[in-house]
Order: sequence, then C-alpha cells, then structure tokens
Amino acid sequence: MNESVAGQNVETPPPAAAGWAVPEFAGIYEEHSRPIYYLTLRFLADPQKAEDATHDVFLKAFRRLDQFRGEASVRTWLYRIAINHCQNLCSSWHHRHVQTMADDALWAGAAAGTDSPLRVLETKELGQRIQQALDALSDEYRLLLLLVADEELSYEEIGALMDQSCDAVRGKLHRARKAFAVQFAKTA
Amino acid sequence: MKQESKLSQKQEPLAETQTQAEATQNQAQTAREFATSEELLRADAAQTPVPPEIEQRLKKSSAQIQPPPARPWWKNLLGR
Repeated sequence: MNESVAGQNVETPPPAAAGWAVPEFAGIYEEHSRPIYYLTLRFLADPQKAEDATHDVFLKAFRRLDQFRGEASVRTWLYRIAINHCQNLCSSWHHRHVQTMADDALWAGAAAGTDSPLRVLETKELGQRIQQALDALSDEYRLLLLLVADEELSYEEIGALMDQSCDAVRGKLHRARKAFAVQFAKTA
Repeated sequence: MKQESKLSQKQEPLAETQTQAEATQNQAQTAREFATSEELLRADAAQTPVPPEIEQRLKKSSAQIQPPPARPWWKNLLGR
C-alpha cells in the first residue's frame, strides 16, 4: 500500500489490489494471510473450518480497519482477532478435547531422549503428524507453539496475546516443547 | 505407521545385490531433522498454501460492506 504513495501513483492500485473494495487491504491480506491461515488450520484441525475462519478474521479486520491505531503490529492485531474467533468456535462446537492426561504429565514422564532433534522422513506427511501431535496438547500449549513459531512475534507480543507475562510464556514454552516432542514421536 | 509402510515399499524393489549402505543412503536423502518444534512448525507453515478461494470470498464479502470511514493517514496528508 505504501508503494502507491512512494510511486506517486495513488489513483492506480497495484495489480494485487485488483478486486478489493479497499485496495490498501490487499497488502495486509497478502502479507498476513499465510500465518493467520496456518494458525486457524492447526488450531481448528479442519481445512474447511480454517478457510471459513480465515475469511471471517480478515472480514472482521476489514470492518474494524478504522479502529486500528497502530499500538500493536498488524500481525499481532490479526492474531488477536483470529485467536478469539477460534476459541469461540471451539467452545460452540463442543470441540473441547477431553484430556486424558495433563500436559505436564506428558512431558514429565517422557524419556530424556525427547530433547533430540525431531526427525521426519517424508515432509508430505509432516502436516498430518504435526496435527496429531498438536491435537493431543491443550489449547494453551498448542497456541503457544504456533505463536512462537512465527518469527515476527516477540515474547512480549506472545505474552500480550495470551494474557501472560514473558516469564510465564518462556516457562510454559519449555513444557510445551517437551509435550509436543513426546506426542510427535508417537506419530512415527 | 504410514512411514513404516512407505519405507517397506521403497525397500522392496531394491535388488539383492544392492548393498545395505546404498539403501541407508537412499533413506537418508529423504530424512530431515528439526532441532525444535518451532522449526518443524515453520517448515510445515511454509509448505501449507493458503487456499485462493479465501481471497476471492473476501473480495466479494468486503465489496458488500461499507468501506471503513476513516481515511488512511497518507490520504489525509496528500489532501485527497
């Protein structure tokens, strides 16, 4: 969206903006759609629901574009909308998983070898295995790992998104990694 | 489970004369290691495309909505 300003060609939107009601929104979608879609996909564990959720998240953002003050990054703002949306969907679908074991028990009882690298032979099966491993975790751990995987987010931003302190995020991340490694190993 | 069966399928056509070392090398070529769960998730995200239908739906949906009233700061700056 800044390109049109820098190029002093404000009247002609860039090609990527074609078809958008507000051309400036094209850049936002292009830059952030992948991480938002990925979060919804892995959080909801359903490609169709993830597609609907991503659409709804960006539509909400579009409606509230005038409310965005730039106090947080656009990415963080979109994540907040996405997280709220996914959590609402999960509670309304009776989608809550009954945890047969607490996350802490998952990693506490794990063998010491879980710190070893995660090994995969076929990357095309990676998605399925990751989904299975994430599904076995609590919503909190799943969300934490997905947010930490986004290199654009700082621990401060992740803490803000999860309503937790930085220290709490770091502590839980350690346990979430272990729990994930245990579950991922089971999918082999 | 699926990986095990795939490996078995790959190993079946190997000629008896092929050494175990060659078979191991073939397997190693497709193996990949990730140091952390984040690295693994990043790789997964990178190979997960966003369905193009979402953008098409969004364009239609946003067209039916009154555009946000606030003007971008740069439009105000340029007086447009």
